[in-house]
Amino acid sequence: MTDTNQIIAGLSQLVDAGRVLTDADSLQHYGCDWTKKYDPAPLAIVLPKTVEQVQAIVRFANEHQVALVPSGGRTGLSAAAVAANGEVVVAFDLMNKINDFNPIDRTVQCQAGVVTEQLQQFAEENNLYYPVDFASAGSSQLGGNISTNAGGIKVIRYGMTREWVKGLKVVTGKGDLLDLNGGLDKNATGYDFRHLFIGAEGTLGLIVEATMKLARAPQNLTVLVLGVPEFRAIMKVLETFQSRIDLTAFEFFSDIAVKLVTEHQDVPRPFAAAAPYYALLEFESPTEDVLEQAMALFEQCVEEGWVLDGVISQSESQAANLWRLREGISETIAPFTPYKNDVSVVVSKVPDFLEEIDNIVSSRYPDFEIVWFGHIGDGNLHLNILKPAALSKEEFFRRCEEVNTQVFATVQKYAGSVSAEHGVGMTKKPYLEYTRSAADIDYMRAVKAAFDPMNIMNPGKIFDL
Amino acid sequence: MKVLVAVKRVVDYNVKVRVAADHSGVDLTNVKMAMNPFCEIAVEEAVRLKEKGVATEIVAVAVGPKEAQEQIRTALALGADRGILVEAADVQPLGVAKLLKAIVDEEKPELVILGKQAIDGDNNQTGQMLAALTGMGQGTFASEVNVADGSVKVTREIDGGLQTVDLKLPAVVTTDLRLNEPRYASLPNIMKAKKKPLDMKSPGDFGVDVTPLVKTVKVEPPAERQAGIKVADVAELVDKLKNEAKVI
Repeated sequence: MTDTNQIIAGLSQLVDAGRVLTDADSLQHYGCDWTKKYDPAPLAIVLPKTVEQVQAIVRFANEHQVALVPSGGRTGLSAAAVAANGEVVVAFDLMNKINDFNPIDRTVQCQAGVVTEQLQQFAEENNLYYPVDFASAGSSQLGGNISTNAGGIKVIRYGMTREWVKGLKVVTGKGDLLDLNGGLDKNATGYDFRHLFIGAEGTLGLIVEATMKLARAPQNLTVLVLGVPEFRAIMKVLETFQSRIDLTAFEFFSDIAVKLVTEHQDVPRPFAAAAPYYALLEFESPTEDVLEQAMALFEQCVEEGWVLDGVISQSESQAANLWRLREGISETIAPFTPYKNDVSVVVSKVPDFLEEIDNIVSSRYPDFEIVWFGHIGDGNLHLNILKPAALSKEEFFRRCEEVNTQVFATVQKYAGSVSAEHGVGMTKKPYLEYTRSAADIDYMRAVKAAFDPMNIMNPGKIFDL
Repeated sequence: MKVLVAVKRVVDYNVKVRVAADHSGVDLTNVKMAMNPFCEIAVEEAVRLKEKGVATEIVAVAVGPKEAQEQIRTALALGADRGILVEAADVQPLGVAKLLKAIVDEEKPELVILGKQAIDGDNNQTGQMLAALTGMGQGTFASEVNVADGSVKVTREIDGGLQTVDLKLPAVVTTDLRLNEPRYASLPNIMKAKKKPLDMKSPGDFGVDVTPLVKTVKVEPPAERQAGIKVADVAELVDKLKNEAKVI
């Protein structure tokens, strides 16, 4: 391996002056994502401005056997964008232009470093809508969203990021520039490599540009929060509403979550009497008819005993406040150093799965408090266990490691996913086999070898070679 | 005690409005409308008075287009007993105050609660004009309201502190932001509200002329914020503050 100074000097030749950073603050800042488990230790940070510069960096890395870690907004929760082993971080902060907008195709060409919120606002200014939305939209970048196939709160209606990628320009691990699909709706010409790069967590190459599709802007989004007596009733409510209304979101949370959020943040309870579980529904209501329909469905759910009480937003600010009941959960429970997991099963199996996990945790760890919430409309559950005050952090996390194995074994039993939308990175790597078979992972290795024969692209993420 | 509450249909607080191309006002096509936030607070206060047993009947009144029925229905779902909609478009504060006076003469409420202003025109006039027209006492910008023994004590937020005024009933109260936190309309109550009475009226029914007296000449958006610049060092910053911005 070439020595550090030579690498830094070499990289400096490839990008604009001052775009290779080696100061301690930058190494710390660009070296990690939202996981705090690994200490960042990158060799240098490089900020390319053009596709040619990205290609030059990748070729240089091949030549000198330097590992590259792609870096977007670093809001990931699986340590896929962590550089803990002397890698060079390729940050896309300077490639943040929206290049071209085509209102007929309803597509917009973005550089990889465009921030999610920037695209959302651009769409809004043009009376359109970019529907992938989640808490970190203000910092996460498109390249990262695509590399992790980000989901979020509107998946039930609009799907994951994958649904909105019409074309990609990527620099492979060999340094070749590939133009994948070029924005076409129909293109039956063999393997669609675009889909390999979506969710690849930067292990095959670097995404430099994406052609994103935009949607019609939703009209008059209305939010319902319903109190539900037992978990199984939530699925009945989902079924009842979905049979008549296209929901844009269906979230659930338990009363502990509501209790914590309303106590710690300036958010009022939806209604006076507490319910064991809550469902949050969102849908477009362009006409009065839809609201009438929703009322009738609510009445039906009350008559069946599936719903105890409910409120409906009368304005956008009320809708936003009702959303805060759900969106405030992560922030509110953060001081309790929660153990977090992001798992999914098919929607119909959610109640059995949840009950089984609940039983495992409550029988073996009676002192643990579980906070459930999630995008239940797409089978995605966030399991959070709060640290009992009496337990030390080390002891708590040690016991949580045991819980992990039991939770993932249950995920496997239900043919679910150990990572629904947070990716694999390093934190879920040891558990990948609970969702993907050995043969499956071998094919992934073979694909990686084809695009990145020197294994310079984000090595050690998703799986080991 | 009968309480009259005024509610106005306005552009939703969360909507970013755009100025119409001809500069006559803001573009309202397909824009979400809602109850004025200060009116929500007024309704909430009336409902709380009823829950405390102070108020016996709440009448929600709106002056506006036919669609303002939605906002009256919301007030009914929150706890008002019946509604009156005076159907008329673009009525200015004096016209609204005159209509409200006519309704006050008919209904004889002991308390009229209004929002201190509507977030569309930001006029802050209707409550005061109504008090003047009816000769009732006024407690504006209320952050606390206490009704007892034929009078209402209204705590008002003023510069540098709080002022409490004691008004003999009947009286007019306008609400400020900190008076209370409005509740959500529950779905069962929304359904019940459909059966509550809502009277449709016109300005003619009260013999009130609502012809606008103030003409809007032109509406323009605020000047766009200029992009910032980066300075090299403190000396340059001080120089720019002194000679360009002239603030030091």
